[in-house]
This record gives sequence, C-alpha cells and structure tokens, in this order.
Amino acid sequence: MSELQIGLAIVVVTLIVLFSGLPIAWGLILVAVGFLTVFAGPASLANVPVILIDELASFALLTIPLFILLGAAVGTSAAGRDLYESLHRLLGRVPGGLVISNILACGIFSAISGSSPATAAAIGKAGMPEMLRRGVPPGLAAGSICAGGTLGILIPPSITMILYGLSTETSIGRLFLSGVLPGLMLIAMFSAYAWFQTLRNRRLLKLDDPVGYTLAQKVEGLVRVSPFIGIIIAIGFAMYGGLATPSEVAAISAILALMLVIIIYRAWRVRDQWDIFRSTVRESTMILMIIAAAAVFSYMMSLLYVTQTAAQALVELNLNRWVLLLAINVFLLVAGAFLPPVAIILMVMPILQPVLEAVDFDLIWFAVIMTINLEIGLITPPVGLNLYVLRGVAPQVSLPQVLKGSLPFVFLMVLAIVLIAIFPQIALWLPNRMMGIG
Amino acid sequence: MKRFVWVMDRVSIGGAVLAGLLLALAALLITWMVLYRAMGYSTYWELELSVYMMVASMFLASPYTMKTNGHVSVDLLAHYLPPRGRRVLLVVIGVVSLAVCAYLAWVTLQFALHAYSTGERSESAWAPLKWPLFMTMPIGFGLTMLQYAAEMVRPDEMEAA
Repeated sequence: MSELQIGLAIVVVTLIVLFSGLPIAWGLILVAVGFLTVFAGPASLANVPVILIDELASFALLTIPLFILLGAAVGTSAAGRDLYESLHRLLGRVPGGLVISNILACGIFSAISGSSPATAAAIGKAGMPEMLRRGVPPGLAAGSICAGGTLGILIPPSITMILYGLSTETSIGRLFLSGVLPGLMLIAMFSAYAWFQTLRNRRLLKLDDPVGYTLAQKVEGLVRVSPFIGIIIAIGFAMYGGLATPSEVAAISAILALMLVIIIYRAWRVRDQWDIFRSTVRESTMILMIIAAAAVFSYMMSLLYVTQTAAQALVELNLNRWVLLLAINVFLLVAGAFLPPVAIILMVMPILQPVLEAVDFDLIWFAVIMTINLEIGLITPPVGLNLYVLRGVAPQVSLPQVLKGSLPFVFLMVLAIVLIAIFPQIALWLPNRMMGIG
Repeated sequence: MKRFVWVMDRVSIGGAVLAGLLLALAALLITWMVLYRAMGYSTYWELELSVYMMVASMFLASPYTMKTNGHVSVDLLAHYLPPRGRRVLLVVIGVVSLAVCAYLAWVTLQFALHAYSTGERSESAWAPLKWPLFMTMPIGFGLTMLQYAAEMVRPDEMEAA
C-alpha cells in the first residue's frame, strides 16, 4: 500500500472508531496502535510509553490545568452572576441591553477562562434564567450565550492557542495577543446583532425598561469583580513584558484567583473547594489524555510517512492560496462539528503547517482563522460542547430553538473569518505592535 | 461484586481528591519559585517537581473522570439506536475502553519497571529518579481499567451520580 492509501485507510478507520462513541483519547490510541502493529511491526510499539510521558511531562503543558484551575475558581463562584448583573444594570437603557450584557460578560470572562464551555457555563448560569424570566425569545438568549461562550478560546488565555503554539512552535504570547482584536470585533458584531434584533421587534424594546437602580447598585457587582479584572491586567503585563513564562503566570493567577474567591465570595468551605478542584482535574485529565493520545496518533502518522506524503501532495496540487484557504476552512468546519478543537489542532497541524508555509501564509494569522472556525464547531450539531452546556443551564429551551438562535451568530463568525482573511492586520497588528514584527 | 464497585467508587473519589491537592501544591510551588527567584536566589528543582505533580494529578484523576463520564466522545450513534442496540453498543464501548486501558497499563508498567531497575535519572541539575514519574501511568491506566470494570458490573441499586 502506498502512503496515501494508508492515509486514506487511517481516515476511514479513525472516523468509524470515533463515531462508534468510544472516548476520543482511547479511540486515537486504538487506531494508532493498530496501524503501527500492521504497517510498522509490533517493535514500533515500544515507543508508545515514551511518547505518552514525553508529551505530558512538559513544563509548557502545565499551563493547561493551571488556566483551567483559574477559570474554575472564578467560574464556580458567583463572579459570573455579579459581572452579568452589573453590566445589565448599567446597560438598562440600551436597546437589547439584556442580551448585550451577556455577550460583554462572556467577553470579559473569556479573559479569565481559556475554555469555551466553561465560559458559556459561568455566564449562562446567571444570564439564561434572567433573560428567559424577562421574556427575551429563548432562541436569541441561547444563541447569545452559546456564541459568547466561544470567545473563551479566542480571547487570551486560550487552551487551544497554547496547543497550537506547542504544535507549530510559534510564540504563545504572540498567539494570545493575536486573538484580542478579533475577539473584540466579534463582541461588537454579536452586540450589534442583538441591538438590531431588539430595534426590529418593538415588544423586545419594552423588556429593557430602565429598572431604576442607583449608581451604587449598578456598580456594586463590578466592584466585587474588579480584583479579577486586575488579575487579567496583571497576566498581560507579566506575560508580554517577559517577566514570567506562561506557566508561571498561570500558576500565580490561579493561586490569586483562589485566594480572591475565598475572600470575596467566602468559598472557603471544603465543599466549595471540592467543586472547584473536581471540575478542574476532570476537565484537565480529559484534555491531557486527548493530547497524549493525539501525540501517539501523530507519531504513527509520521512513522508511516503519511503526514509527510499528505502535506507534499497538498503542496503539489499547487492550488491558488485562497482556494486552498477555502478548502482548509471547509474541512475544519466539518471536522469541528464532530471533534473538540484540541484534538483537531494536534492531529491536523503537523500536515497543514508545511502546506501553509509553502504558500506563505502567516501561522499566527492562521491560528486566529482556525480558532474562530473551530468555535463554530462548538455551537453547531452534532457535537457542540457549548450546546450541551446550555442544555444543562436551561433545560426548558429545546435544541431546535437553541440551534435556530445560534445560526445568525454562526453567520457572523463566518463573516469575521472572511474579514480577517482579507485584512490580516486585524489579527496581526497587536502582536506586531507589542512584540515586534515576527 | 457490590464490594468491588463500592471500593472502586471510593478509590476514584480518593484519586480525584489527591489529584486536586497535587495540582494545588504544584501551583503553590511555582508561585513560591517565582517569588524566591525574584529575591535573587536560584531555583533548580521546582519546575521539574511541579511537572511530576501535574502528571501524577492527571493520571490519578482519570478513574474519576471516567466515572463521571468526562472522557469526551462522539456519542452520536447511541442517540440514533433503539434502546436495545444502545445497550449493546455501550457494553462494546466499555469493553474496548477497558482493553485499551489494560494495554496501556501493561506497556507503561513494563516501561516504569525498566526505569526502576536501571535507576534512570532525569538529565537536569536536580536529576531526580524517573521511575516515580513513569509509575503514575500504569497506576492511572490501571485504575481507569478497574473503574470500567466496576461500571460494567454495577448493580442497579448502586447507580451513582
């Protein structure tokens, strides 16, 4: 069998194995070990334990559980509710303020959390019941939380950007910065859509009657949340000023956040801490197992020379770079609908990187395109992690309603990808400005 | 059987608690290291130890993650199958997952035992022994395998969260 035929067989078998419902980590190991045994001989399996431990025992990977801890500490506290309520009270007079305050709260929370489902859960817990109680159409309410939640992996810190950086050997600081402006742009687009929907629908306008809060009541929640925003700013300074590595920043901010939730939200009981740590180790283990399994999978692909052959074949097609980009985006959209972003980045980037370099695409810029693309996968069926989160927060909203509500946001995200493709500076201006042209 | 499931439930919760403690300690250790370094001292073992603790934490939490259905999967097929086919599919998935974990536990155990017998050390200034790090893998995969077994024989009246 030629390398391309083996590659095709790998794709087919992997699809079958993953679609059976086997956990992704075990599925990838199963496929990798199977193909290694058949095509490279059982002796090649001797490297499996080495690859597993080499992949996991890295100081750079330590960032991931630590950022998850940071997000979980803030996310399980009432900070999300405070953030949402304050913004809501401040935006009481703005048409669509109920929805816009959700989107903004998601955006701010994204700067603490590196994960999208965690962001959707933290804000959705407070935002969904409030929006539904006040009569926002369930679709719009659900769509805004699902879409707002996806900002978690675009606005730094971001777990997927960390993995992209490790996989392509690009600067994680630069990747983080590249997501900031596109994130703000998406917040603006989402908010404009909510504003427009409210103006179009007179009934919705009445929901946002100013509720007569005093200024003190309006900012009370923000005051409680402000120390966390302080952490965000400190993260920025420490990381981009080169004072500390991403892992060090992640550890310090996780410890600070834990102390703050204990002081401000009195989460000192064993029960509260157990909630924080239980969700942290659960999510971290899930992600790190997939990372370790994907490393074995990539080793198999590379040992069988499939990675190199596939990349070369793609380069030799000599596609116009924009046709290539379109094809890659379509592929990522389809893959993203089924697999979590972490798995896709680790499995696909070894093949795509040489192809992108051959047509002279910037890897930092592509990271942003890819991230927004994978965000779409988080809010589209069949396997949208944010959709599950939302069903957990608001079980009374039916799945079709959620999907219909998310669709306009998906279009906005596609529009954002097109804009960033045409104007790469949206992604690249900030990192180049702060860290020099790279 | 009941006894086994009961014990495994405790073991996986215990593993998760230990995992949480290790992760918290790792975060504290790194924070302390940054402060200590800022005072002008040199640090050499902290990074490596924190990585060891993180790896141990991840493997120890694996059975709990399995028990709480945290290892994500594409559970599309099960959705479209009739209840009977679904039950069969879930058993097959459980058996295959158990087999994969058993395989991983076995090969990583060999690997760790080899490192133990050769006394392999890390190539760093601190040069800790490698086998305790390697040993976290067979422990994690082995316990996850046992948890899969426990879920398969779990009596109905013991249905946990």
